Amino acid sequence: AEVEETLKRIQAHKGVIATMVINAEGIPIRTTLDNSTTVQYAGLLHQLTTKARSTVRDIDPQNDLTFLRIRSKKHEIMIAPDKEYLLIVIQNPCE
Amino acid sequence: HGNRRRGLAGPRPPLAAMFADRSVVGAEVESLWRSAQSARCEAKSCQTGKISTVETAVQSHTSRDAGVQTEQSKDAVQDFQLEVQVDYASLLSFLQRVEDAVIQELNKNWKSRAFDGFEVNWTDQNETVLCLHTLSYPEAQDRDLQVTSLSWNATGSVVACSYGRLDGGDWSTEKSYVCTWNLDRRGLNPQCPDLVVDVPSSVMCVAFHPSQPALIAGGLFSGELVVWDTSRREDPVIWRTGMTDDTHTDPVYQVDWLPDAKHRNHHRLLSVSTDGQILVWREEREGRLALAEGFALVAQQVPCRAQLKKVAWGDVAIGVTSLSFSHFDPHVFVVGVEGGYSLKCSMAAETLALHRSGSSVPLRAPAELTFSPHSGPVYSVSCSPFHRQVLPVNTSAVGWTQNLFLSCGTDGHVHLHSLLQTQPLLSLQLSKKYLFCVRWSPVRPLVFAAASGEGAVHLFDFEKSLQKPVLSIKQGAGKHPVYCAEFSRGQSGLLATGDAAGTVRVWQLSSGFTEQGPRERNRLEQLASELTD
Repeated sequence: AEVEETLKRIQAHKGVIATMVINAEGIPIRTTLDNSTTVQYAGLLHQLTTKARSTVRDIDPQNDLTFLRIRSKKHEIMIAPDKEYLLIVIQNPCE
Repeated sequence: HGNRRRGLAGPRPPLAAMFADRSVVGAEVESLWRSAQSARCEAKSCQTGKISTVETAVQSHTSRDAGVQTEQSKDAVQDFQLEVQVDYASLLSFLQRVEDAVIQELNKNWKSRAFDGFEVNWTDQNETVLCLHTLSYPEAQDRDLQVTSLSWNATGSVVACSYGRLDGGDWSTEKSYVCTWNLDRRGLNPQCPDLVVDVPSSVMCVAFHPSQPALIAGGLFSGELVVWDTSRREDPVIWRTGMTDDTHTDPVYQVDWLPDAKHRNHHRLLSVSTDGQILVWREEREGRLALAEGFALVAQQVPCRAQLKKVAWGDVAIGVTSLSFSHFDPHVFVVGVEGGYSLKCSMAAETLALHRSGSSVPLRAPAELTFSPHSGPVYSVSCSPFHRQVLPVNTSAVGWTQNLFLSCGTDGHVHLHSLLQTQPLLSLQLSKKYLFCVRWSPVRPLVFAAASGEGAVHLFDFEKSLQKPVLSIKQGAGKHPVYCAEFSRGQSGLLATGDAAGTVRVWQLSSGFTEQGPRERNRLEQLASELTD
């Protein structure tokens, strides 16, 4: 229940279009989008996060990835990575 | 005899010798051919050296059957959340760890001005509008047939056109054609379509199936519907309505594929005709199309706040010339009628139509709202395809974009309407002659194209100007009216236009028309709300 509360707080933020939690294997656990879109996002962003993390660590092995933001024409995707989970938030930053 | 008796005294020649048998030595000629032959001949023999062959056999010891097939996903949405074992404690601690960071970033982003006006050009900007192909079918042109309708297929690589006559007023039984060209083929011959289907009556409209690239549906002048399968060579007709009591009594002006609510993969056909009926057909066995449900528009049942021409006798049907479904609500659609009105209708309507029904399925009256009229018949309506794909959490932010539609007609005006109010938001005069077709662009929310009777296609961009077209593409030297224009659905951003001279032109639009700007949808909503004030 607290999990849901936290996710609701994030989803209710200004401009947030969608929120997702996926586990270390790329399987979605919680989402506010429909099934097929979620699966697509989960697969693609999981791979991207892994690649980003390995890039950071290759450059400096003492460093590690803390946050990933992708800005596109239409919205911004924010990814908070972790050992077991991945939190993905999609925001539409229109002024 | 005489000699014998007289020559008795003289020496007698040897008579016996004169008449005796004697063998004569024959003349001999040595034959040369054998010696000559043998002088030139030599004995030779030739044989290829022995080929070494080895017997071997290769066979995999183990084999496994694997089948790969893609198919559309079934209707039931799998609840994947139940299948994965979730450790809530660790999930909660993870969320608590990241929540603050994420909220901070969200706030920063909302207020950030860092990216204002920052645009990236990934592709080369193409500045000009090019006519890529000019396609025609000479036999149809020789018979002075016109292009009545165009359709792009699901993949965006094949364009089909129907040849017929739009200005024929009476029952026309002349043959017509449906031609397809595959634009991605290397050996594209513009004068020779890839496939020509002979149709016994005049074809008024065609529509490709939205997901199966080989099926085309066509509506005929006689009121029938036919579905062709272009992958079959011998007999492309797979379904037809035939002439039954259910078929339209007037030409079918528009045909569309409807996704079936119950079976996701099946589609039904919808046909619209000037006899006032909107019929939905489903496929039955033996290639017949049977009526599934239907609607009839009757003058008395149309909600009229304006004055409709009330005719005293009988129930006069209103001829429907075009139809467009709302992309937001699958039950709502807009029709344009010959009287100049656009009507908002719903598939969920319950009241029965006052139509003298000879049809097997009771027809319903769908009209809910009448919009203010044009001064002439409406030839084309088109609903804007832009609506929010991702569900918003706060539904008070429902945008206006899903409610906009365009209508055009013989008065040369284009009206921009919102589905929520009867007065048009904007009324533009584009042409002194008729406007035959209006279509929203599938990529840019602010762009639409209108085909006019003066032989030009006008492209409007609301971002640049609200009054004038931003580009007018002339179809060619002659001023043949352009009857249809269709945007392609794929990546290519092509526009196909067909005119009365029987030529189909495929235009490549400049990048300004094919790439969506950063905040165009919001701009469209802003525009709509400005106009309603």
